Amino acid sequence: MKDWNAIDDEAFRAEARGFFETEFPAEFKFLPRRMRWHECRDWYLKLSKKGWLAPNWPREHGGMGLSPTKLLIYFEETERAGVGRMPDQGITMVGPTLIRFGNDAQRAFFLPKILAGDAIWCQGYSEPNAGSDLASLRTEAVLDGDDYVINGSKIWTSMAHDATHIYVLARTDRQAKKKQEGISFLLVDMKTPGITLRTIRNIAGHEEFCQVFFDNVRTPKKNLVGELHKGWTIAKGLLGFERLNIGSPRRPLQALEKLEALAGARGLLNDAAFSERLTQLKLDLADLGSLYGRYVERARRGEALGQDVSMLKVWSMETYQRLSELLIEAAGDYAAIEGEVAMNGASIDVLSPFYNSRPGTIYGGSNEIQRNILAKYVLNLPS
Amino acid sequence: MTIPDDNSHAALLAQSVGDFVKRGADLPRVRALAQTHAEFDRAQWRQLAELGWLGVLAPESCGGLGLGLAEAAIVAEGLGRALTPEPYTAVAVLAARALEHAADTPLRGELLSGLVNGERVPVVACHEQADDVNAVRIATTATPFEGGFRVSGQKQFVIGAAGADGYIVSAESAGELQLLWMPRDAAGCDTGLIPLADGRSYGTVTLQDVAVPREHVLASGAAARGALGRALDHAAAIASAELVGVMKCAHEMSLDYMKTRVQFGKAIGSFQALQHRAVDLYIQQELADAVLREVVALLDAAPDDNTRALHASRAKSRCAEAALAITRAAIQFHGAIGFTEDCDVGLYVKRAMTLSAWLGNGRAHRLRYARLAAQGRAAA
Repeated sequence: MKDWNAIDDEAFRAEARGFFETEFPAEFKFLPRRMRWHECRDWYLKLSKKGWLAPNWPREHGGMGLSPTKLLIYFEETERAGVGRMPDQGITMVGPTLIRFGNDAQRAFFLPKILAGDAIWCQGYSEPNAGSDLASLRTEAVLDGDDYVINGSKIWTSMAHDATHIYVLARTDRQAKKKQEGISFLLVDMKTPGITLRTIRNIAGHEEFCQVFFDNVRTPKKNLVGELHKGWTIAKGLLGFERLNIGSPRRPLQALEKLEALAGARGLLNDAAFSERLTQLKLDLADLGSLYGRYVERARRGEALGQDVSMLKVWSMETYQRLSELLIEAAGDYAAIEGEVAMNGASIDVLSPFYNSRPGTIYGGSNEIQRNILAKYVLNLPS
Repeated sequence: MTIPDDNSHAALLAQSVGDFVKRGADLPRVRALAQTHAEFDRAQWRQLAELGWLGVLAPESCGGLGLGLAEAAIVAEGLGRALTPEPYTAVAVLAARALEHAADTPLRGELLSGLVNGERVPVVACHEQADDVNAVRIATTATPFEGGFRVSGQKQFVIGAAGADGYIVSAESAGELQLLWMPRDAAGCDTGLIPLADGRSYGTVTLQDVAVPREHVLASGAAARGALGRALDHAAAIASAELVGVMKCAHEMSLDYMKTRVQFGKAIGSFQALQHRAVDLYIQQELADAVLREVVALLDAAPDDNTRALHASRAKSRCAEAALAITRAAIQFHGAIGFTEDCDVGLYVKRAMTLSAWLGNGRAHRLRYARLAAQGRAAA
């Protein structure tokens, strides 16, 4: 595996820019929704072949092991080129979780599958009655011979219809004193009999999330990650990686690209009032990069991400929303138009960042929950 | 003092700063100095010199430690925390950096060595207009005269003037910038002090036909412009570090208060509305801290002028706004007591205000950032 950290930043940027611009399929550039697996499979494999699929994984597991600076360049260039978002749970969450909490057999089996595109993951966390209060989940797993048998339902499962595997938080001990105890973290093949899906259409009209039903679904004992009943610790560890991922400047950068293009097309850059607001948002995003770098460095050193990583998610997603809102304001009358809008030679989907940034303050623990976490565990305020 | 590497240097500094700056311990002195707008306590200044802090940046040839902004930021954050009114950033960063890149003359060596050991207190007098971050809009003239210059003009916003023994003055001579040394008591040089909110002062230095001998020319032309530009950006970054110290201490005071103040039978820190507000300010604090650390490291790597200015502006903009937001909120978190003179919160509010305003406020740096970013885009 090549050590990309060893080359200088500008050379790496040039390499990334050239690669993303020429290799990412033109028809999917700046897609206003997440890519489906049949659309991104070739791209996924192309990234994998180059060794660029998992920029955040350590090199010994087939990742790029990028330094914070290089990772930011990687993201800046993907967003600059309009590279679409793939079903990426395996790369952003399952990989780091197995590297940290899994056993050798699980790593040896699943990590290569993720890199090869043979295992596409989705997240079985939320339930109809367990959203912000995730620990009150009721999906149950009972040991029967060499298998756990799972019954229950998960919801808001992004890209489940493209996934080959799902990781599930299930209750394994009903007698536990605290609701956080007695939960286990299980890996499940989506082809297992007893799993059914219902897709859910979102506010933008896209079918990106699903409800997943488990009816006596069997998964072998070896697919238990970590200890029995101790899944909450792993769940929280994974949420740390999720917050790091959601907290990256990547998604707000998408909105900024659009905003600058629109401002150029509409001649707004000479408008002092607009320019000052744009600059503030650019600084908000640049400063997010500084904060993000701190956590990437921690993750790279294999340190646990503390509860303070929640602030990345809050700042990233709210910056994303502010950018999407300024985009709408800057579009003026055009902002009523659904889909791509042609104006002064540019073609910009004005509303998609607005839609795409809405769930960011809800999923992965709502931003209100993140603030509760920060107040309690970081500021040590009383309850 | 033999120290094996930079890391342990930073660690040692952090330790000594931590020991020196016991939160609140210095505040009675700060209050007393504020009453008189003296801002300068010779004994305290000597102590800063003895600790080696005045010489963190200065070259070893002048008795300094020759370290970087990352280390200076550690010192400045501690002094910000303690609300130390002495002009550390104005002297040990702004003046030291301007002198460091001056021509290698006996005067330069004398001023830098004196600065490091605390015997000389040079400050830079270069601004004439508000919001002029680069100090380029100047009307002060230097007219050639018997091998030296005669200088007339007026400088404003000079932090440290209260205790300074002389000024590094910028002046124009036939379109060329000159950096000149001017003893405070030079004939025709008059220092007026304008009281600031936090008990310190801005010096207004009025120059009327002040004779500057050739030996007092520190730098000319591009060298002067380069030295001043770099010194101002480095000082903006270290003023940002002071602001980080101020905001962290103020926010800790708010959080402590929220844990102990009881209303409706509960600590007010248990109320979600206050918790979320405290969290949002904490996020601002951590953004400021992260930007500061990144920026001082970037500046220490000696980037080109535009990159340096761009990052210095990022730091000052975020740190100024965050410090103002956090200290303003500290009044609100403390309730009516926070609005009293006796409450220490006010001292932090006022220091945040003066540090934010000095060397370009958040808005001035945002505007400069926008300008520089647009240039960068045009060049790319």
